[in-house]
Amino acid sequence: MRLLLIEDDAELAASLVEQFRDHGYTVTRAADGSLGLELALAEDFRALIVDRMLPGMDGLALVKTLRSSKATPVIYLTTMSGIDDRVQGLEAGGDDYLVKPFAFAELLARVRALTRRSETSTKLAVGAIELDLIHRTVTREGLAIDLVPQEFKLLEYLAQNANRAVTRKMLLEKVWDIHFEPNTNVVESHVSRLRARLNEGFARDAIETVRGVGYKLVAPN
Amino acid sequence: MLFVGLFTVGIAALLAVILWIVTDAQRAALTHDNDEDIDSIIVGYRQEGIDEAGEVVRQLLGEPRRAGVRPTTYLQIKDAAGADLVGNLPDLERRLGEFSVRVDEKGRAVPSGGAAAGGALVLGKGVVFGQRYYVFVGRDTAQLTAARDRIVDAFLWILFGAVVVACVGGTLLAQRLTRRVDLISRTCEGIVEGRFDARIPLQGRGHEWDRLSLAINEMLGRISALLANLQQVSSDVAHDLRTPLTRMRNRLEEAKARSVTTAEYSSAVSRAIEDTDQLLAMFSALLRISQVESGTRLAGFATVEITELLRKAYELYRPVAEDNGQKLVASLQDGLTVSGDAELLLQMFSNLIENAICHTPRGSLIRIDLGSRKDFITATIADDGPGIPAAEIDKVTRRFYRLSRSRSEPGHGLGLALVAATSQLHGARLGLGDAKPGLRVEIAFERHAER
Repeated sequence: MRLLLIEDDAELAASLVEQFRDHGYTVTRAADGSLGLELALAEDFRALIVDRMLPGMDGLALVKTLRSSKATPVIYLTTMSGIDDRVQGLEAGGDDYLVKPFAFAELLARVRALTRRSETSTKLAVGAIELDLIHRTVTREGLAIDLVPQEFKLLEYLAQNANRAVTRKMLLEKVWDIHFEPNTNVVESHVSRLRARLNEGFARDAIETVRGVGYKLVAPN
Repeated sequence: MLFVGLFTVGIAALLAVILWIVTDAQRAALTHDNDEDIDSIIVGYRQEGIDEAGEVVRQLLGEPRRAGVRPTTYLQIKDAAGADLVGNLPDLERRLGEFSVRVDEKGRAVPSGGAAAGGALVLGKGVVFGQRYYVFVGRDTAQLTAARDRIVDAFLWILFGAVVVACVGGTLLAQRLTRRVDLISRTCEGIVEGRFDARIPLQGRGHEWDRLSLAINEMLGRISALLANLQQVSSDVAHDLRTPLTRMRNRLEEAKARSVTTAEYSSAVSRAIEDTDQLLAMFSALLRISQVESGTRLAGFATVEITELLRKAYELYRPVAEDNGQKLVASLQDGLTVSGDAELLLQMFSNLIENAICHTPRGSLIRIDLGSRKDFITATIADDGPGIPAAEIDKVTRRFYRLSRSRSEPGHGLGLALVAATSQLHGARLGLGDAKPGLRVEIAFERHAER
């Protein structure tokens, strides 16, 4: 899978290129904004990783220009952590926003979420777990599972990213729209409740905990 | 000086106009008197002939004057041949209409074009009547010129006074202006030199200068508050981040010296990563606080459905409290809104709820209440835990302040500082009190106008 990394920090870029390669990605790196835009327009990448402050052309302008002709998913990497910075970034056409410093696992999980094939369907199935997105109902092996709306939302996000780890931060942002770091185990508490409901009466744990990263909804092969 | 000049010219022009009007009026009065005399002479002639006209002249001239005293009125009747019949101005040419004639010291008319030293200038009128008789009636203009001179004199004095007043007043005004400007620039210089508490003294009379000084002082106050904030943050960072950094360094050193197996190294690295994460969390909290305190978020204020926001916080933390062996309950009045920043408000309430969860034992009850009074919407987070000792309650909103008993617990002492900054940004009153037992935090928002 091909990614374009537009980042002027050579050391960070080299480390990211290497780590992505370990996970089976091919990464092209551009060190400044104008070159990055040129490459993004000329070739087809599965996703763009864009620094906000770049020489040549800043990340925001780059994404704005790109969006007039291409819909390649974009994730920003930035040290700009203000609320407005995030909102501006997303309004310019970015799809996700990750503040430096970050764990590579966080970036990887987000890139995976961005590059998943987005099917617009009314049903989602992960193994024996089936979600009806219209009626907001869930069944496992045909048995109805009763979920409160928040739990359904959480499961929906996990199901959309089935077999891929999603981080606590991603869940906070996408499920609860929370953009600060809580000091308590908010995500753990909610996941454990969802897990208890999903697993009631079943031997296999549907939600896998990925140590140091987050959670994964797994479909047995 | 330009203003003094303009002022002087203005006054002079005004005085000149007044002078012209006054002399013109006097001249008109003189001419009128002359005309009346002529009329009475002619009336006398018509009634009883030339002798009666002469009699009128004599009556008008009054008692024969003593020698050396100049008359003020001159009358002369001549016959058709030009011979003087009666009057006190012999040798006058027979000129008609209004004219001026010089009279020498001996009381004789000076022929036109002739030079005469001294004497008087008589303004009068020559008229022909009856059998080509001629009469001249004139009046000495000396009184006229004297009056004019007096007026001019008075006017010159007025002008002089006005110029003096203008000069003195202008100088005083300029001096006062310079003094005020000096005062302001001295204050500014003081600030440039680092005396940030310098302020412009006020006159206390509500002058426009005081208004300007007040505005500048307010600006200075705001700037020094921001500066103090910045200095506080820098010193906080310098002092309070040193402790965790030292701790991390010690651990790494120890790991390097003692660890043998990869597992030991790995656990040391994991702990170092945890320490860095904690440091980063501190940085984000600090950044967020200064962002809030700078007031830039005010621009993004919107109507926030605070009932929904607290319900979300409640649903978010209820399982957390439950897992922690505590009970979180909420009693929220429906449909309340405040003007604010939803993201900051959610973080603020989350901080308060998390504080309650982290600092109370198992079995505690944590209550979220939202209600409204006449002018306020009040959100309360209360617990029945150990609370905050009265002596420390005023200090807990300071950055990095930690209760003496909770120093060993995890946390960075920034949560309540952010709560204080956020409530201040929202113009809300933050009250920390004793819930008897426990801590009760009340945030009272001013009710904004319904739209």
